[in-house]
Amino acid sequence: MADPKKPRAAFAPWDRRELPGSFSVEETARKVGNYKWIEMKLFEALGGWVATVPELDVKMRLGTHCYHHAWHAELWHKRLPELREMNPDRLTKPANDDIVAFVDAMTEPEAPELTIEKLVGVYRVLIPHKIAAYTYHLNNTSSITDAPTQRSLRFILQDEYDDWRDGEMLIQSLLETEEEVQRAARHQAKLESLMIKAGGIAGPGSIGPVPATAGEAVA
Amino acid sequence: MKKLMTSQELARDGRFKRVPVQARALDRRMSPKEKDAAAGKKIAPRNQFSPEHPDAPDRARSLMHGIFVGEIQALEGAGRTCWDFEAGDGTNGTVPFALKLDMARQCWDEARHCEISVKLSEHMGTEIGEFGESAFLFEAACNPDPILRLAGVNRALEGLAIDVFNTMKMFGDTSGDPVLEFCEDWMLADEVTHVKMGSDWLRKGTENDPERRNRALEFQKVVDKLFSGGGFRGDDDASPIKLARRFRELAGFDKTEIDEIAHLSQEALEEARARVGGAYGS
Repeated sequence: MADPKKPRAAFAPWDRRELPGSFSVEETARKVGNYKWIEMKLFEALGGWVATVPELDVKMRLGTHCYHHAWHAELWHKRLPELREMNPDRLTKPANDDIVAFVDAMTEPEAPELTIEKLVGVYRVLIPHKIAAYTYHLNNTSSITDAPTQRSLRFILQDEYDDWRDGEMLIQSLLETEEEVQRAARHQAKLESLMIKAGGIAGPGSIGPVPATAGEAVA
Repeated sequence: MKKLMTSQELARDGRFKRVPVQARALDRRMSPKEKDAAAGKKIAPRNQFSPEHPDAPDRARSLMHGIFVGEIQALEGAGRTCWDFEAGDGTNGTVPFALKLDMARQCWDEARHCEISVKLSEHMGTEIGEFGESAFLFEAACNPDPILRLAGVNRALEGLAIDVFNTMKMFGDTSGDPVLEFCEDWMLADEVTHVKMGSDWLRKGTENDPERRNRALEFQKVVDKLFSGGGFRGDDDASPIKLARRFRELAGFDKTEIDEIAHLSQEALEEARARVGGAYGS
């Protein structure tokens, strides 16, 4: 039987978690507000598109994924008060005007023959950028002080990987001609450019520290 | 993508055949009584949806197809409610964030119901497009007032789904089809949740607006009566689709409201009888 009086280390030898993290409480709250905003825009769009796509398998997948992103928005909504933002609506906002322009362009396709464009915007541009930003956040926040955010990020990332794969496979199954491949590529390039302008789903710094400007570097 | 689309714009592949709701009701495979009435024959008394009835296989397959297209439209309607209204305090055309989350959850549930229905349709020997599709459910989901939309879809039509699924579950039990019974029971659980969402949001959304509540309840009543389908859904044992009182209570209906639906169904039955000149069985 183990000796109940024997001292043990607070951290087991295999527990390598560290205190330091890259983000303050305020910075984390700002990012989480941006995440909630983009998740909302995504689930709203997926829900709206369900009625506009004729392909039955796509229709049902969009309905399923709609809920995944709504749940992510709910997780971020609940996290905000824990980050001292008692009015979650205040920080539920886009990172900048460029990400609004990206969402506007992504949600523009409406006609039933534009399923490829709808899917490309979500599964070849937005979701890969979400995975990038969430992975950066997961790997750079403190695994002790900010463990609740990390836990949400892990659940969310699992959904993102699964949905990304689903969406990519739907796109591959829809691309049958050279013209359709070109359509997909053109739309992806257009949206990717807008996302680059935005700096990612949480603005500049979404996947790494923002490089200092020349003036700041000198100072 | 614009807000507030119409039922004519619903996207479908080539297998689906859109028909007016009346044509669906008069599909002779679905309604032998109407066929006999049109031929001037005396119609047999109404009978419960039972495996012994000679029309049971066709009626069950037709009902399954109707459930399938209803699930697609319920999915589309919930999805549009996510899109059509901005999140806000519930005034000026906005809806609370929590209502949007409920609609997203309903999207997932309805998507699974579509999947279940496709597989059950194959199991029962029918296929997509064998019967026509009327867009009646989605039309209720086009109401520009989100509270009226939920009253019409979640309380009236999803309420009807409670009655239909409960009947199909019993049909699965009495016909010795455990797959049908199992699936209908699971879908029934989801429908109770969806109707409860409608009941909860109707109450919350009209707390300080009795006039809006009255309009929502009136809209629900219109939809309820319209889809009492000539009285095929009712409170007595002879009704093909039996009003599922216990499940409706779980979903937030009180006894008076359920009595009223029973009354509307009875009225619809009387009107159907009058239309076929007394040939309709009693």
